[in-house]
Amino acid sequence: MMKSGNAQVLEPADKTSTSSTRNVGKAVRRLEDLRIIRGKGGYTDDIELGNQHYAAILSSPYAHARIKRIDVSKARNLPGVVLVLTGQEAAKITRPMTSRAATVSPKSHYIMANEKVRYMGEPVAAVVATSRYIAQDAVDLIEVDYEPLPVIASIEDAMKKDAPRIYEELDSNEIVTDHFEFGNLKRAFQEADRIVKDRIRIHRYASTPLETFVVNAFYDQTRDELLAYATDQQPGRTVGSVSACLGIPSSNIRLIVPPVGGGFGYKLAVWQYVAIISLLSMKCGKPVKWVQTRMESLYAFHRPRGYMDAEFALRKDGKILGVKLTDWQSDGNWPYVSALYSLIKFANMSGVYEVPNLQFEYHCVATNDPPVVQDRGVGKPFMAFAFERMMDLSAKELGIDRARIREVNFVPPEKMPYTTASGEVYESGNYPLVFKKALEMSRYNYWINEIPKLRKEGRYVGIGIGCAIEPGTSNLGYYFLSKASEPDYNGAGQMSTVEIGQDGIIKVNMNGPEIGTGHVTTITQVVGDIFDVDAEKILVDSWFDSAHGHLTYAGTYSNAFNDVYLGAVMTAAKRLRDKALRISASYLHLPLESLSFRNGGIFSEEAEKEVLTLKQLAKISYGQLLSFPKGEEPGLKVVAGYINPTAKPFVRSDFNVQLTHANSTHIVVVEVSKDTWAPRIIDYVIVHDAGRVLNPGIVEGLAIGSTASGIGGALYEEFLFDQEENNLTLTFGDYMKPTAMEIPEIRLEMHESPAPNTVLGTKAVGEGGAITSLGAVASAVENALEPFNVRIRSLPITPENIWRMIKDTDEYRKLKGAN
Amino acid sequence: MTVVNIKINGKKYSDDIEDRTLLVHFIRDHARLRGTHIGCDTGHCGACTVLLNDRPVKSCQILAVQVDGESIETVESLEGSDGKLSIEQEAFREHFAMQCGYCTSGFLMMTHHLIREYPELSREEIREKLHGNYCMCTGYQQIVDAVQDAQKRHNDKKS
Ligand code: FES
Ligand code: FES
Repeated sequence: MMKSGNAQVLEPADKTSTSSTRNVGKAVRRLEDLRIIRGKGGYTDDIELGNQHYAAILSSPYAHARIKRIDVSKARNLPGVVLVLTGQEAAKITRPMTSRAATVSPKSHYIMANEKVRYMGEPVAAVVATSRYIAQDAVDLIEVDYEPLPVIASIEDAMKKDAPRIYEELDSNEIVTDHFEFGNLKRAFQEADRIVKDRIRIHRYASTPLETFVVNAFYDQTRDELLAYATDQQPGRTVGSVSACLGIPSSNIRLIVPPVGGGFGYKLAVWQYVAIISLLSMKCGKPVKWVQTRMESLYAFHRPRGYMDAEFALRKDGKILGVKLTDWQSDGNWPYVSALYSLIKFANMSGVYEVPNLQFEYHCVATNDPPVVQDRGVGKPFMAFAFERMMDLSAKELGIDRARIREVNFVPPEKMPYTTASGEVYESGNYPLVFKKALEMSRYNYWINEIPKLRKEGRYVGIGIGCAIEPGTSNLGYYFLSKASEPDYNGAGQMSTVEIGQDGIIKVNMNGPEIGTGHVTTITQVVGDIFDVDAEKILVDSWFDSAHGHLTYAGTYSNAFNDVYLGAVMTAAKRLRDKALRISASYLHLPLESLSFRNGGIFSEEAEKEVLTLKQLAKISYGQLLSFPKGEEPGLKVVAGYINPTAKPFVRSDFNVQLTHANSTHIVVVEVSKDTWAPRIIDYVIVHDAGRVLNPGIVEGLAIGSTASGIGGALYEEFLFDQEENNLTLTFGDYMKPTAMEIPEIRLEMHESPAPNTVLGTKAVGEGGAITSLGAVASAVENALEPFNVRIRSLPITPENIWRMIKDTDEYRKLKGAN
Repeated sequence: MTVVNIKINGKKYSDDIEDRTLLVHFIRDHARLRGTHIGCDTGHCGACTVLLNDRPVKSCQILAVQVDGESIETVESLEGSDGKLSIEQEAFREHFAMQCGYCTSGFLMMTHHLIREYPELSREEIREKLHGNYCMCTGYQQIVDAVQDAQKRHNDKKS
């Protein structure tokens, strides 16, 4: 029994509710928190298997080198070591990784480096020992002779004719390139009053969840079955990938994902390590746990760096006639996700604006940068950043206000649902209204008047605007747009299992990892409404378990939870409800229509009272089979699926990459110190439209949290490399995350335009801040630095980078002369 | 190898350990209290924060042998034996001050210390005092709300 005060009850937090249903729409306190605040999070590293052994991995100190010799004899002889496996040995018994989206696929990329290393931090060998300390000692005893190879540190170097190749079996370092055109660009550019061009850059940064990768795997040699626990955001795919890599039938793999200590896309890349650790367990027969160190996690799996050449054709009132974009991206050397960053940009390529004519060309290039992963928002933050920078720049060149140029171009609400030039469907929204609210909240006009006055007092204050679309729910397979073959996946859907257990408890397995976004609470709210029961009668499983029904791409990403996951849970729950009522009616000899779930039991209109408790219902359904209606199957367990109906098949002239489109405006006021050139945020306003809000407390946290991660990317965080592509940022002392001191107080307001194409009208919220903030912050700092007449084309806007930008300007000389 | 005796949450744990065993590993692997987490192993993130004789410390920066005979409090100490949540736990839950929760134990222990050490803290001061604790999920605002509220609850209880 639960102790008092521990009971799982959905209690409203001290916030106003917005809905009249039992649960949905209310800021009920999170059920997850009851585990967390007691230190019972139950993360992957908290699980200990019997006879637990530990792995450690030797990482390459070079970015590009041939492995001439590996000597593991000292490591093998260390007491406590049970296995040492080199990449070269692993390559003999595993299959190489292939490209998902790229049109060419290397054949030499294995889960550990084989003949050569291609980035600093690439796994070279692995050790299993009786303790984590011994495993690490053994790694230090492995001797490797490397022959350094010329390093490719930039897109330009990679594209040179005689450039050394990252993959020698390929003709070029360019892994994939493509060109799309929608509408009549030629005419748009001919008719334009003004053409504005620039090159906008994006740097390497990443979301760095506080929990690193953890894998705990046991290959049972008596049953030839693999059981693995992992911090995995896309376990559905991992099962298939590990199966293909190690040659274990997928039916013999059980993958469990306990609650994850932060996902942010980073944990889509863990599968390679699930394969490595599983292989170690297969070889040594022990349960093997590996906990990635922070340094290992900073080596690799970042957002890619690159740049975009943008050309805007504009009328003199600011109206956009056409946009040409050419995207160059250094995908590092994990062709596995090459093209994903570029192609997903179609989801928000036109932002909140009408762009009738659009051209997009992209190039993904292999370099000795470390591999990339689909970090929070994937290509969308950069897309929004580049677009919003161009909006500011266009305003400047046309001599109109930055707010005005946006107003001229917003998709008008009466055109909803609006289809963009490439076929993305914006299902609902009122962009001008969201914008107007944000202008008011931030007192935009006040600041526009005030800033010149402050400048006269020697203060560099600026205000900036960012508007963006936050797409959610991937129509999977979009990354095959450049490939002729069929994608492994398409569409957007999920599966879920809902049952009433033999004790009358309603059990839900949503079968997507719980990554901290409140899924257990939300599902409890929704299921509570369907069965009209209290939270204490509902048990939502916070594990993904591949033993339950799931899709091949099951995972928690692309903001799909509130859409297809809830859809699957609701479909299963309703089917289960109907089945339970049929059994009850037959058992009680009452008309089916007279029965319903009410207040935690089964209620009869005729009898005007509760006629069965859930426990009684379970007893009948699991045991008293002769009272069933004809044809009814025993038990109370339903596995069901759901598909979002608005995904289109992929035709190059008309496709939708994502299915929901939240939007937001961020307005930021910044002051730049003239002593240190450090920018400080004075005010931060967000108006966000994420469709219907199911739990305001959760949504607020996600909107603010994602914004904080964007502020980190805009002002502080960058992975730095020297000329040899050595990563110089391998601790949090060098890779600067913003703390509570740097993140400002954020004023947030929600606007609700329900999505017509999701089960409860929700849209995305977990990536929005990361997408919109980059442009807003840059806009504000540029505005603050207006006297220096500089353009911000890249991030992060550190004091040093500001100083480099302004140090040769007249204003700077004037200022320093005056001092 | 050295035998150490460490009191954690009022209970004695004794084990024969390698001298280099970090306190955080002692807590997690030897005492098997998994509420204290490791987020960086370099002393930056604060996920491993515990109280050593009532002062917050980062347990990844201390060897277990250094605290032989001393007294440690971890997140598991907060809940009353009757199952009643502590002020800090209540406040964090009320304000949605966690998402994935990986950082939460560290923040709770810091909060436990701060609201007793300082009678009053402004939001800005709270932010400054928390700068050794990283949260990658929340953007800190709801955490600051929770600390403020915990302080108020603590002061109300005292008066
Ligand atoms: S794990 Fe100790 S400070 Fe990060
Ligand atoms: S809640 Fe995830 S790190 Fe703080």
